[in-house]
Amino acid sequence: MRLLESEGAVGPTVPAPETTPGPGERIAGLLLAYSPLGVLVRRVARIRASVHSKLLGAFLLIALLLIAMGAMSLQAIASVARQSRLLDQARERVDASRQIEHALGLQMNFTRNALLLRDDSTIESIFRENKRFQDTFDRLEAGAAPGQRETIERIRNAQDRVMATVSRISALLRDDKADEAMALHLNEGYPLYREIATLVTRAVRTEEAGMGQLREGVEATYRRALVLMGGFAVASIFLALGLGFVISWSFILPVRAADAFLGQVAKGEFGGSIDVSNRDEFGALAERMNHMSGELHQLYDDQRRAAHQLQVLNAELERASKAKSDFLASMSHELRTPMNAILGFTEMIRDDIYGEVPEAIREPVGDIHTCGKQLLGLINNVLDLSKIEAGRMELALDDYVVDDVVTTVKLSLRSLAATKGLDLIVTVPSDAPLCFGDGKRLTQCLVNLTGNALKFTREGHVEIRVEVQGDDLLFAVSDTGIGIPAHQVDHVFEEFRQADVTVSREFGGTGLGLSITKRLVELHGGRIWVESEEGKGSTFFFRIPVRVTREPVA
Amino acid sequence: MKTILYVEDNEFNRKIVRHLLSRTTYRLIEAIDGEAGVTTAREARPDLVIMDIQLPKLSGLEATRQLAAAPETQGIPIIVITSFALAGDEQKAKEAGAAAYLAKPYSPRELLGMIRELAPES
Repeated sequence: MRLLESEGAVGPTVPAPETTPGPGERIAGLLLAYSPLGVLVRRVARIRASVHSKLLGAFLLIALLLIAMGAMSLQAIASVARQSRLLDQARERVDASRQIEHALGLQMNFTRNALLLRDDSTIESIFRENKRFQDTFDRLEAGAAPGQRETIERIRNAQDRVMATVSRISALLRDDKADEAMALHLNEGYPLYREIATLVTRAVRTEEAGMGQLREGVEATYRRALVLMGGFAVASIFLALGLGFVISWSFILPVRAADAFLGQVAKGEFGGSIDVSNRDEFGALAERMNHMSGELHQLYDDQRRAAHQLQVLNAELERASKAKSDFLASMSHELRTPMNAILGFTEMIRDDIYGEVPEAIREPVGDIHTCGKQLLGLINNVLDLSKIEAGRMELALDDYVVDDVVTTVKLSLRSLAATKGLDLIVTVPSDAPLCFGDGKRLTQCLVNLTGNALKFTREGHVEIRVEVQGDDLLFAVSDTGIGIPAHQVDHVFEEFRQADVTVSREFGGTGLGLSITKRLVELHGGRIWVESEEGKGSTFFFRIPVRVTREPVA
Repeated sequence: MKTILYVEDNEFNRKIVRHLLSRTTYRLIEAIDGEAGVTTAREARPDLVIMDIQLPKLSGLEATRQLAAAPETQGIPIIVITSFALAGDEQKAKEAGAAAYLAKPYSPRELLGMIRELAPES
């Protein structure tokens, strides 16, 4: 009684599931036991939210990460595009600076030509180039960085002054004052050109340097974006793995606990409880299971208590039954012992063991013997009935010869029949087979029925007839007696019944014989019945198998 | 002269057998319980034992069993007197080693016949 021990205790808690762990399982077990993931699993389990919400949350977290990654990529792309644009602009400016340089060179060349050739068209060319220079320079100035402003201002001043000088030179040339024009060029124009050339070269260098910086910046941005993406990708993978682990184990653990717990219940170990930290559907399930376990335990306890009570009651009944049985056995013996002495002494007196019996007391001695036998019969009947009621009537099954049974009956009742002047007729088939049953008890049945028949018959005859019908033996005891009233036919086999109280007064008897006979016939697996007509006589029949089976229907 | 041992605790029943055998050549010795019955049988070596089934100290069945098992007494025929308390008494008597059995109340005439059969008067 294993559960007797755990009575009162809360009951064993459910141990970890006992599946043989694979390598994956072992890693998961180590992670759960020693890593912060284990703590996280328990935390997640303890979150007061449904499984649905937890799963949605986990997916949402991963989705947010992906969105963040996307946003950062977009930002990186935008940044690269902006810097590319700046690079393009820088390249344009470098171009413009080179064009200015070129225009300046042409301007100087044309000035020199004009001084040599002294023609207007060349001077026009100077102004044309100057115009180109101005246009390009305007563009350059519009996109100039603040650091360039000063240089540009100085170039513009120098250029303005060059143009003024060129105008004066061209005016002098038109007036054919070549020498003055040459002197003006050499003294003012040429140094100005040199100054501008220096400034322009510086501007070009500056622009080129800015472009290089921009290019490097673009490359750095690109590299940064690459690293960021990689980092995000790796982080996403780890986050997904971690979340998957945490979420799945926060579900697996309670399911396993429930599985182990149900396993215990299935094995009949009630009263255990399941310890699950989840506050979701699994937690609710565990709570239900614990409730169920408690109920089962209660039921089991009740049932066990009832069983115990039954056991106690059973034992008491058994003791009582044993006591009754012992009482029967000892009563039987105790009653028979004095009966033995009474019947023994009277028989010996009648057998003249003590000398010849005087005629005067021969009759009373005979009466004592007869009454003693009657008393013995009554005692036997009462004891038989007690045994039947206690369910302890057993048949002593053995082979018997039906002719022997009938002969015994005839011998024991012959004198009674003779005394009443009745014929006792016996009809037994000569080819009756060897039978199997309790011959003594069948003799008792026939003695009862025949004794009754003789008792209730004043004149005529009593007949015992036996027939073999297939596998059955049919016994019939008929008389020409008083018969049984129709309304009492059904009751004759009930205990303590006689057809009429006046009948028992006249004919005697306790009314036990028929009920005992009925019971004995039934123990043989047979049936008993009666056909009777009041005033004309009765016939009692019983039919039993020729060979009774070992365990007759009780 | 044959010796008969009657083991029976009831004085009246012992008296019946005493009177029954007084007119014969049998010599009767008596014992009033199972233990005394076994002891007397071992010492006196009777030619026949009549054993009541229900006796003080040692039941008649057990006494019969002991007599049937002991080498010095195993040849002695035993008549067991049963009382039909419950079915199977006869069977038990036979299994214990009884040569014959008789149901109580028995007819003294019948008992004498059985005695003469198992241990004929010399």
